[in-house]
Amino acid sequence: MSAIDDLATELSRLPGIGRKTALRLTYHLLRQPTDQTRRLASALLTLGERVHPCARCFNLTEEELCAICRDPRRDQTTICVVEQSSDIGAIERAGEYRGVYHVLGGRLSPLDGIGPDDLTVAALMDRLRGGQGDAESTVREVILATNPSLEGEATALYVQGQVAPLGISVSRIARGLPVGGDLEYADGVTIAQAIAARRAM
Amino acid sequence: MAPPLVTDAIVLHAFDYLESSRILKLVTRVGGVRSVLARGARASKRRFGRALDLFAEGTAELQTKPGRDLDTLSSFDVTRARPQLAGHLARFAGAGTIAELTLRFARDAADPGLYDAVATALDALASAAPERAPDATLAGAWRILAELGIAPVIDQCAECHASIDMDAVAVFSHPAGGVVCARCGHLARRGRSLPVSARAALRDWLAGDSHPVTDSGAIRAHQRLLREFVREHLADDRPLHAFEAWEHAPWAGSVA
Repeated sequence: MSAIDDLATELSRLPGIGRKTALRLTYHLLRQPTDQTRRLASALLTLGERVHPCARCFNLTEEELCAICRDPRRDQTTICVVEQSSDIGAIERAGEYRGVYHVLGGRLSPLDGIGPDDLTVAALMDRLRGGQGDAESTVREVILATNPSLEGEATALYVQGQVAPLGISVSRIARGLPVGGDLEYADGVTIAQAIAARRAM
Repeated sequence: MAPPLVTDAIVLHAFDYLESSRILKLVTRVGGVRSVLARGARASKRRFGRALDLFAEGTAELQTKPGRDLDTLSSFDVTRARPQLAGHLARFAGAGTIAELTLRFARDAADPGLYDAVATALDALASAAPERAPDATLAGAWRILAELGIAPVIDQCAECHASIDMDAVAVFSHPAGGVVCARCGHLARRGRSLPVSARAALRDWLAGDSHPVTDSGAIRAHQRLLREFVREHLADDRPLHAFEAWEHAPWAGSVA
């Protein structure tokens, strides 16, 4: 296999990139100065070598602990549990949450053979029991922010079942109509959930 | 361009594909089991709605092309979501087992009976009390096997067709495909003793009737019998992940 084919094959493995786009990118890179392609190659190598899961919350980081876990201004008594590291970015962009996180690394899926042992539930329980000997032994609330899908709900239910006996408050993120949305165009399941989760005014 | 295939469908498996799409495996009323690409299903709820989720049922419009294994999902109007299946882990694991069974056996040919059996099994499971989830799963699974045409014979010998009294303990032989009489039982390679109550339960489940079984030992025996029967009829050795979780994993509400 030629170097061109080799790179195009690797690029086409990336999400959203088909074979044609991969070839276009490959020819684009061939037209760039050698320095620039070298910097790109170096950045890719560094990414793989330096980035790893945070020792505490399993968010991606280059340090032992991620920036959120290291930040003394974050509320260490509240942990928001998410499926993937990318979910943290979505919550952080909202700018409302000041607590810390825990990344499960997926969700329960019997058909795919994914059970609790394949997730970081045991590490979460260690954190909640203060197994790491830090301020997190004083956790007061766990917010379950797994996706509002059937598998996400089952995963939340499982984690809730594990955490509840510790006497820590467990909450689930709300579901319902999107801000700026139109009731007329919402699907029945979303409306039903929004009505079920209504709040007093 | 072929006209779209419009059919009732149930989502049995879903996984993310690329940045915003999902690949779904559907059991459909007129097209059997189909794999479909739902473009943008994760990012935009405009086309498919939020309820395009596992075990949801609705009217699907599929763009098909001859010779292609992956159809394109144009729309999916949900008529019945089944969020109750995530309301208890025993129901969730049972539904996974029903889905795995269907996906491993069904083909891309019209089978309305199978479709109805899957829908009925999921509905029964969704409304079952948590302690009744295992026998609701067993009932649904055996009914699906019956619709697939591989129901075990339980009222006569599967080898010599001699009648076997329903009030008698019988030997169940997986290779024979059901219970066998005493004479054929001696020749069977292996078999399990099937108590009268277990045969009665099996008869009712195969007919699509409810038959409560709450004894944990009986549930375990039924789960083992079902798993062995399914294995006997599968053409490959690929693992049965959902069966494994349903039968053995404590998190999935397996019977202790």
